[in-house]
Amino acid sequence: MAAAVAKVPALISSAVAQARPKFAIFMKYAKVELAPPKLSEIPQIKAGIAKLLSSAKSGAWKQQTVKQATLNTLVGAEVIFWFYIGECIGKRHFVGYDV
Amino acid sequence: MSDLPYGPPVRVSPLIRFGRWSFLGLGVAYGAFHQNRLSKKEAKLREIEAREKVVKDAKLKEERERAAAG
Repeated sequence: MAAAVAKVPALISSAVAQARPKFAIFMKYAKVELAPPKLSEIPQIKAGIAKLLSSAKSGAWKQQTVKQATLNTLVGAEVIFWFYIGECIGKRHFVGYDV
Repeated sequence: MSDLPYGPPVRVSPLIRFGRWSFLGLGVAYGAFHQNRLSKKEAKLREIEAREKVVKDAKLKEERERAAAG
């Protein structure tokens, strides 16, 4: 048991050494894909929201192909799921509230 | 850039990124706010229950003594 416990720091350092280049690759993707929007992109965001609202009003959303509609639904569902992930973080409990 | 294992990173539209981060922030805020509200309500209920518990314990003790004597 003492020998196994003594090996733990060596295991941790080797795991960290292995994970470092993989983490660097993850950061390269994350900087482009997961980055929060910059202030300079606000007009694009406003244009996107306006396009969504106008297409909802004019009924143009019914003219999508089924494939486009499926993809848009999945993306929209993922964006909404982040709210519930945030709620779990805010209430500091996974299922339900801990009173 | 060309040595990444999954190809070049996808340029996610700023609207989607804005939506994700803003929903995350709103969720954290709502979770913390609701947790606070519910825990305050629960604290009040616990106080009321503690007060009633004293009365209930006294009544139960009385009934047990009556049952043991009778």
